[in-house]
Amino acid sequence: MIPGAFEYHAPASLEEALSLLSANVDDAKILAGGQSLLPLMKLRLAKPGVLIDIGGLDQLRYIHEEADHIRIGALTTYAELEDSGIIREKCPLIAQASRVVGDVQVRNRGTIGGGLAHADPAEDLPAAIVAMNAELKAVGPDGERWIEAKDFYITMLTSSLMPEELLTEIKVPVLSGYKTAYQKFSKQAAGFAIVGVAVAVKTAADGTCEDIAIGMTAVGDVAYRAENVEAALRGRKLDAATIEQAAAVVTDGIDVIEDVNATPAYRAHLAQVYVTRTILAALA
Amino acid sequence: MDSDRKIIGQTIRSKEAPRHVTGCGRYTDDFTEPGMLHAVFIRSPHAHARIAGVDADAVRQRPDIFAVVTPDDLKRETKPFRPGRYAAGLRTTIPEYAGAVDKVRYVGEPLGAIAAKNRSIAEDALELIDVSYEPLPAITDVHHAIEGEDRALIYEELGSNLAWQGSLEYGYTEKAFKEADQIVREQLKIHRYSSTPLEPLACIASFDRFSNKLTVRTNTQVPENIYEALRDAFGLEDIRVIIPDIGGGFGQKIHLIRKYVVIVALLAIKSGRPVKWIEDRNEHMMAAGHSCEQEFDVEAAVKNDGTVTGLRFKEIDDVGGSVSTLTIHFTNKLNNLSNTYKVQNIRMDGYSVVTNKCPVIPNRGIGKPGMCYIWERIIDRVAQQLQMSPNDVRFKNFVQPEQMPYTTPNGNVYDSGDYPGLLQRALEMVDYEALKVQQREERGKGRYLGIGVVIGVEPGGRNAARDMAIFPEMKETPGAGGVNGATIKLEKNGTVALYLGSPNCGQAHETTTAQVAAEILGVSPDVISTTTPFDSDIAPWGVAAANSGNNFHLYDIGAIIGAATQLREKILKYAAHVLEAKPEELTIADGVVTAPGSSLRKLTFAELGKVAYNNQSLHPEGIDGGLQTTFYYTFPHAQPHMVPGPDRKVRAQFTFGAGAHVAVVEVDVTTGKVQVLRYLIVGDNGTIINPDVVDGQIYGSAAHGIAVALGEGFVYNEDGQLLTITLTDYGKCSAAETPKVEIEHRPSPSAFTPLGQKAAGEGAAIPSPAAIASAVENALEPFGVKVRNLPLTPEAVWNLIQEAKP
Repeated sequence: MIPGAFEYHAPASLEEALSLLSANVDDAKILAGGQSLLPLMKLRLAKPGVLIDIGGLDQLRYIHEEADHIRIGALTTYAELEDSGIIREKCPLIAQASRVVGDVQVRNRGTIGGGLAHADPAEDLPAAIVAMNAELKAVGPDGERWIEAKDFYITMLTSSLMPEELLTEIKVPVLSGYKTAYQKFSKQAAGFAIVGVAVAVKTAADGTCEDIAIGMTAVGDVAYRAENVEAALRGRKLDAATIEQAAAVVTDGIDVIEDVNATPAYRAHLAQVYVTRTILAALA
Repeated sequence: MDSDRKIIGQTIRSKEAPRHVTGCGRYTDDFTEPGMLHAVFIRSPHAHARIAGVDADAVRQRPDIFAVVTPDDLKRETKPFRPGRYAAGLRTTIPEYAGAVDKVRYVGEPLGAIAAKNRSIAEDALELIDVSYEPLPAITDVHHAIEGEDRALIYEELGSNLAWQGSLEYGYTEKAFKEADQIVREQLKIHRYSSTPLEPLACIASFDRFSNKLTVRTNTQVPENIYEALRDAFGLEDIRVIIPDIGGGFGQKIHLIRKYVVIVALLAIKSGRPVKWIEDRNEHMMAAGHSCEQEFDVEAAVKNDGTVTGLRFKEIDDVGGSVSTLTIHFTNKLNNLSNTYKVQNIRMDGYSVVTNKCPVIPNRGIGKPGMCYIWERIIDRVAQQLQMSPNDVRFKNFVQPEQMPYTTPNGNVYDSGDYPGLLQRALEMVDYEALKVQQREERGKGRYLGIGVVIGVEPGGRNAARDMAIFPEMKETPGAGGVNGATIKLEKNGTVALYLGSPNCGQAHETTTAQVAAEILGVSPDVISTTTPFDSDIAPWGVAAANSGNNFHLYDIGAIIGAATQLREKILKYAAHVLEAKPEELTIADGVVTAPGSSLRKLTFAELGKVAYNNQSLHPEGIDGGLQTTFYYTFPHAQPHMVPGPDRKVRAQFTFGAGAHVAVVEVDVTTGKVQVLRYLIVGDNGTIINPDVVDGQIYGSAAHGIAVALGEGFVYNEDGQLLTITLTDYGKCSAAETPKVEIEHRPSPSAFTPLGQKAAGEGAAIPSPAAIASAVENALEPFGVKVRNLPLTPEAVWNLIQEAKP
């Protein structure tokens, strides 16, 4: 349980971090909170030759409120997101998902950028960011670019970040008039999601669904929007029977994960159940 | 000593808990020795393969590697272990070395080890060792292992993967089944799990080549196993086993640990340096031992009034890739074979099948949770088939309090107990009838509550001859009865030191033994200390000197009582001589011996210490010097049936507590997730020495048994790869999932033990899996669900509901 030998760098600036990354592009890993990477290194499942510890880059740790969106620095911890008044008020879904990541220690160390870039299919936050249509800022030697949340993931443990790019910021739109909820099914209180569902829903005075966004995590190899369910619900009265009926297609076209926690059949069933439960929880 | 006890029966401030909860315990990993090296193990990535060769040359040549042990070294420099009592039934003797020498038979099996200056270098070097394997098909299913057409043989020498088969019959089951009104049948299954102690296996070995003395500091529960293993392996006679604080054992540190200690010792011998090895969690999960996956084919012969007249069952044990614990889960069913019931005819047919999984080992109750599961599930089935209340079937079949002491068909002698009283009280406490009404009402609202009511005996104090019942051909007994010693020393300053025969792995030995000694000696437990670490150079030996088998209450407490009583007599003789009184006139309180009459006629323990150790002129005549006694306890009621005769009857254990358990659960029928709303135990642990300590044992064992039933466990894929090497994947319950356990004590003091004490260590882990199974089945009654197999993971429960739905 001791990692293989590696070169360790603690860059003092983003520029330095980027140049270190470019110089070691085949063999480097970025270390943020270390909650995903270090366990893999201890099991020697990950053996980076160069570790670039960006934990000291305080300029990447912030929550800024803008006119119609919130900017979150990549090194902001789950605990900071969970506790932030701005996040709770303007982007409650981010706070709701952050609150159930791992245990207290993980939330105190783990960062939103580190978790998102790691691209583990069981991460909680991806459900929220795809539901919110967040945008992710990638910075590389050629400057910066913005990636839409729905395009961020390619496959299990692989994001669309280029090897020489760093994820530095997450821009989350402020949705006014929406109700939100994040719910997950896990074996233990601090366990990984077996299914995680993020919902933002806007209803008219008569209870008709004006808009709904449903983000799914831990179901397929990457987080996704349940667009077919959303389409089936827009314009409909959101009673339990209607939601349940719409939720039935949530895994259509998805290659549902099989692992020690659940067979695909059970996981697909849970996905339907949790879509229904999460929408009802958001509306409650 | 009964009515006027002042310290026994009280919760006193714990002697060990403060250091443990503040992180100040001293565990094996906390020790360092000069020049100490660090070891890592070479382990098999295959479930089943022939070892074609191990090339360690690249590593041996490195200057920072001090010793390497490969299969060739093991064959050349060690001898195999002598077959233990669980392997005595093998058709052919199979030599078992500390590591794999010809084949690997499970993922993680050790083949050898390397020692380096530090752990990091050792792990780097491990990657340079080139082991050539010829992979063989993995056997992961017992039926395939026995009947599969293309099955590979795990031990070619045996000619079959069915390594052992045998039967025991008590009474006349054929007659009982012929005369039965009805026969109730069921097939049941229990999965593989572990007790997952927080501290994994650990060892520091050092060898003094001048005196040929081998010293190991390790966290074994049974020092004798390590001592014997090192003698077997190296032929050395001067061996010292030191056991510091242990971070939990529960059986995990009894058996396979010897392999690792032998290999670490060989590294120490070869390098001439002390060598430390601390197991990783994933190593522990893969290769430190699992409980046994057991399948039961059960039949009960019953009368129409609910009387069970016979029980027979076939048991198939998946014992994993070793033959050294072949029958351990089978023979441990003799301990609670008839549970709380008066049935006279029982037959058991056992099949031990080797597979390419981790070997099975002792584990909190070993075969006893399985035996209790057989009984409590079949009693529920009897009730369903006869349309009776399951509680009534239990009341109908209980051994009654007035029958005590009661001899079971297989020769166990129940010392005391009131099983109807325990169950009655449990039903009252939970308000069973009101709960049934609530259950009906909630079902109407779509909430599915379930009530599980079970009972189990808790055997205590192991008889080492038990295993001979299935091996009548065994020439040498593996030991018989139980022997364990304790030493008490009154120090010069009047304080008292205790030396126990068995190590403490979290059961508060230090506190409890101090209470008993304090009561007998007439001194505050504050001035009594129990030595930790255990040290075989000074501690007494004995076949029962082991932190296992629920032994502590009987053998350690028995030895402490004997030693303290002898010391008290000696103290009185010394004091009588100095105070010019008769010993029987003296009283002792708070460490002061007082003679009648003048208030000046008294002597403190400190003054006595000076007399005993420094002043021969004040010694009474005919008494040897010093105030130190050693007493070896043997159980005075061990006969009859200490050693099995032709009738195979044997006292598997010597004391019998019991507990009635009620589980109230709610099942989310949409997801299959089970929540335990209430868990209640009415227990008979005999006379309680320290209520908090006993409650702590009950909380822990109940939490373990409940978690086992609800989903923690090992999962292998068909290639024999273990998929659950982390505690998260293994599904360990956290505090959030563990229910509050309500405990009421209803002791029936043992008629056979000095204080009336009984065991408490395994207790609640024995009936709790059955309680949860019963409660879940009861909750899902409207769906017609039958619970047969553990664990009840959410997916398993969901599947049961899907399968039952019309």
